[in-house]
Amino acid sequence: MPVPPKRQLAKEIWKNRAVYTAISPFYLLFAVFGLFPIGFSLYLAFHKWDGIGEMTFNGFNNSSYMLTDPEFWQAVGNTFMIWIYSTIPMLFFALIVAFLLHAPFIRFKTFFRIGFFLPNVTSIVAVSIIFAALFANNYGILNYVMGVFNLPLVAWLDVPWGIKAALSSMVIWRWTGYNAVIYLAGLQSIPTTLYEAAKIDGATGIQSFFRITIPLLRPVILFTVITSTIGGMQLFTEPQILLGNNGGTGGAGMTIVLYLYRESFINNYFGYGATVGWGMFLIIALFSFINWKIVQGPSSK
Amino acid sequence: MKQRTWSLVILIAVLVISGCSSSPTADPLSSNKKITLTLWYWNRSIDDQLLQKAKEQFPNIHLVTQKIGGDFKSKLKTTMAAKSGEPDIVALNDWIMELFPSQDRFYDLYEFGAAEVKDQYLDWKWQQGVTPDGQMIGFPMDTGPTALFYREDLFKEAGLPTDPEEVHKQMSTWDDYRQAGLTLKEAFNGKVFMYDNIENVYNEIISQSDKKYFTPEGDFIGDSNETIREAWDMSVAFHKDGLIANADHWTPEWNAGVNKGKIASFVGAVWMKQPLQEAAPDTAGKWRVTRAPGGDGNVGGSFMAIPKSSEHPKEAFEVIKWLQNPENQLTMFKTTNLFPSTPSAYDSDTIREGEPFFGGQATGEVFAESARNVQISFFGERYPAVHGVMTRWLNNIANLDPATAFDEAMQRVERELKR
Repeated sequence: MPVPPKRQLAKEIWKNRAVYTAISPFYLLFAVFGLFPIGFSLYLAFHKWDGIGEMTFNGFNNSSYMLTDPEFWQAVGNTFMIWIYSTIPMLFFALIVAFLLHAPFIRFKTFFRIGFFLPNVTSIVAVSIIFAALFANNYGILNYVMGVFNLPLVAWLDVPWGIKAALSSMVIWRWTGYNAVIYLAGLQSIPTTLYEAAKIDGATGIQSFFRITIPLLRPVILFTVITSTIGGMQLFTEPQILLGNNGGTGGAGMTIVLYLYRESFINNYFGYGATVGWGMFLIIALFSFINWKIVQGPSSK
Repeated sequence: MKQRTWSLVILIAVLVISGCSSSPTADPLSSNKKITLTLWYWNRSIDDQLLQKAKEQFPNIHLVTQKIGGDFKSKLKTTMAAKSGEPDIVALNDWIMELFPSQDRFYDLYEFGAAEVKDQYLDWKWQQGVTPDGQMIGFPMDTGPTALFYREDLFKEAGLPTDPEEVHKQMSTWDDYRQAGLTLKEAFNGKVFMYDNIENVYNEIISQSDKKYFTPEGDFIGDSNETIREAWDMSVAFHKDGLIANADHWTPEWNAGVNKGKIASFVGAVWMKQPLQEAAPDTAGKWRVTRAPGGDGNVGGSFMAIPKSSEHPKEAFEVIKWLQNPENQLTMFKTTNLFPSTPSAYDSDTIREGEPFFGGQATGEVFAESARNVQISFFGERYPAVHGVMTRWLNNIANLDPATAFDEAMQRVERELKR
């Protein structure tokens, strides 16, 4: 069908006005709460603004400050480190959990599925407070247990690696079950005939895992890698509650979003905060793209 | 039929949505000539019962009090940025100086005769609400005079004086206090720490000084005045001597530290009494308070302001003046533990009452004396940002060479000032 000229288009819209009205709430809400803030933050990124006073044009000063601020790069580095420490074990555990849940010899499957998913729906603030009690330097549960076994105590929240370990373990604890449920759905969609055929051909369990399960799960793995990349880059509540607005000793737990939050809402550089937001957008986009390329692999070409 | 049902649904939805944004002024009760004033405050910044009394006190005013939870400052800022829905009266915390550049968004309280009651309030507190241009945007609420909190029993065990007067005499400077800390450390074999955390050493020394980082003209003096350097060096010395428990305020670490007798003393504002009593019930009766080493300081305390958007600033000022008059400030001390900024209240029996947690000592006397002696000082709108940089570097002192850390922090501040 040829594209109708403008007047006809308008006529067409008018004819279907009831339908358009019905779908309009989403577009209106999106325009107000989605599109406008995005556009405004781009505008804000080139301005200096303390939140109340006059907005003054600042050109590229915000972005050049960001690119030359060691604390920003530290935050980027921290975010990546925590992402690596958390995502790789998390997806690995999730795959194992999903595989076990899928195994025919496991009983009470629904109970385990709910159990593994449960951490994901608990409040992050509550989780952070519990983990703070776990990792506390002097009266932490972890140090108490280590003391019982006569192991040297660790001032977890005073050393950079301890801070990162604490944050990563929170992410792993919270998201393993979620990813396991997604993997489980993926596993269930793989036809059992493939495994049977492999068995007849004399394949071992490990062989069929690597030759059948993993390749067929690839789209699902890709999905979890992308979502955990986005989630990992946006880490905020965990370090904020656990370590405060400065990301703990030496800023070892300062993530990009926590940095953004501190610079805009604590230090009142709202224009700069918008710049950091856009910087983060570019980083996430680039990083997701790289991850996608890696996980997709050369074989799918 | 179906279409009509849908239109009805949409109509109801629209009404519900618009209903959310209708202002409290639409209250039909207030339609009879009463003017409506909205007041924003946060939990425990004003006594709720006193606000009820205020409603009786001003029969012609419909006072709508809104307790704003969460991040109060951000909520105020976004509301002011939106230029809609601003309150007529707003409580401001000790970040009031951040609003000085936006002084034209607030009424000058001198316009309504604030000067008449000036002598009822602590001078240094009053000055904190006045911008460098001489516009008064903040009316004094409570204050946070500081003093030394210490464990009498631990001091005794360590062979240090225990009587508040004598403690103050022996530990009148930070250096003397540090020496006493070394004695204590030795007596307890390093199991008990003299102080809670390094940031609190730095903050308290700065709070005692008449000079901070800026002059009222806006010049940065953090690199030239000795206070900053001395505060930094003293903080580092406390750290190096191992006198600090590394327990940050508002953490389970701190709570456990004070409750288990790991922290023998710290300098803190009067409002630290509450978190201390809540955190350390096992040590009730063992704490005492005396004047802080190095002089008297102030940390915290709030103000009340009237945004320019208010249509009834005169009436709003009358409400503020009444709420924060000496008598009501004393009431709020009784009910909500807010320390008055009106010196006339300091002689009252309420302030001079003994407290069981402090072994029957009347700590109010100590804090009152401290409040009278706080130095007038100027903060400047960038105080929080600059102070934030300094404390960040100070907190990382364990991982840095202290000498270069100071220079590094100064370089970072320099960058901060160019932003």
